[in-house]
Amino acid sequence: MRSRLFGVVAGVAFAVAVAAVPVIAHHSFAAEFDAKKPVKLRGTVTKMEWINPHSWIHIDVKTPDGKVEQWMVEGGAPNALLRRGWNKNSLLPGTEIFVEGFQAKDGALRANGRDITFPDGKKLFVGSSGIGAPDERPEK
Amino acid sequence: MRTPLTGALAAGLLTAGAVCVPPLRAQVPAPAVSKPISTYSVPRTPWGDPDLQGVWSSDEEAGVPFERPRGQTKAKVDGTELEALLEQREHQRAGTAPTIGGVTGAGPVHWYENWGRKSARTSLVIDPVDGHVPPLTPEAQRRQERRPRAGGSFGAGPFDQPDDFSLYDRCITRGLPSVMFPAIYNNNTRIVQAPGSIAFTYEMIHETRVIPLDDRPFPSDRIRGYLGEARARWEGDTLVVETRNFSEKTNYRGAGATLRLVERFRRVHKGLRYQVTVDDRHTFTRPWTAALNLSPGTGLFEYACHEGNYAMRNMLSAARAAEAGRKAQ
Repeated sequence: MRSRLFGVVAGVAFAVAVAAVPVIAHHSFAAEFDAKKPVKLRGTVTKMEWINPHSWIHIDVKTPDGKVEQWMVEGGAPNALLRRGWNKNSLLPGTEIFVEGFQAKDGALRANGRDITFPDGKKLFVGSSGIGAPDERPEK
Repeated sequence: MRTPLTGALAAGLLTAGAVCVPPLRAQVPAPAVSKPISTYSVPRTPWGDPDLQGVWSSDEEAGVPFERPRGQTKAKVDGTELEALLEQREHQRAGTAPTIGGVTGAGPVHWYENWGRKSARTSLVIDPVDGHVPPLTPEAQRRQERRPRAGGSFGAGPFDQPDDFSLYDRCITRGLPSVMFPAIYNNNTRIVQAPGSIAFTYEMIHETRVIPLDDRPFPSDRIRGYLGEARARWEGDTLVVETRNFSEKTNYRGAGATLRLVERFRRVHKGLRYQVTVDDRHTFTRPWTAALNLSPGTGLFEYACHEGNYAMRNMLSAARAAEAGRKAQ
């Protein structure tokens, strides 16, 4: 039975969701990826798909037992990446990247790219200095 | 904002002063004309309408809260107060960015097109003057309790079918007037004019509204749409767009089919001033207004969002996986 309390709680939850929605992304990564399955992937780019609403970066990841897993990493919106300085040469096949994110809830080899860096720690964004983009996380 | 009433009153007083005490006329202060006279005149189309054409962005207003934070009393700040405010905003955004929308975050902030903007405004809401959206009516509160799913993918679900997601998740529309307000990317609107009509294309989702400017009446209220039905007119150099006949599926802060919007676009020296008055007596206890200063944008890119919307499929398969996990327990 749906109680009145549930209705009130749902109403409040809705109000919070509505208040938050206008400033965030097109859809929730949390609905797609599992917060309980954090992944750290070091892989080699095989393909970058510049598709809307979000780009997909394909990488080959070597597992400790020598196998190669093909992962897809959900990236930023193509329009935003273009305006932030990316171009077709930013992630050429063969580039090694380090991805921190969360795996798909359905167990597929998909992850969101919460943090993407080159192995030397440089941020992926090309030309990010001097445009006001802070590091993604506070200094550790 | 000067209302028609105060304008009429001022004009009336000036006239009275002019008629009753002519010797003092030169000394009567005339507030309406004592302001510095702007030398700016709006550009015009070949057929004489104010020219609003171009691509306009709301990026510069990024970071300004929709409603004014508690404790802040000024609509705009400057000097050291502004520096402190901008620093606080940047820290707040950098701190919350990794977990926007939940633990998984919304991607690194270097994907955010509108990062680092420096508006001195403290709220996008300008009326009421306290910068707060008026409370919902009791009727609207009851309505909201009956439709708890409207948070879309950012809500709690359940997600059993595409209809359980928001129109924004589904690449249908970000909705009016939300589409005008800054998100983390795609904050551009293209305006194209022709004699008798004006068109707006919104980069986010990429829908276009073609609005008549020729005094034709609104259609029957049985004709409804996600973007409603709109009619435009000029009030001096200001374009006024009135929109009603919204679909029942519309949900702007709780307002649906009875929502009525009045948008105003006015060319200013370096950009456009945008205002929208939200009026729905079935939802809000009084009409209210939000405003944006739009600046020249960098052009519009395609956003064929629906075609690549794998997220819909992924979110549904994620919900099925979660369901199977619950059953197995």
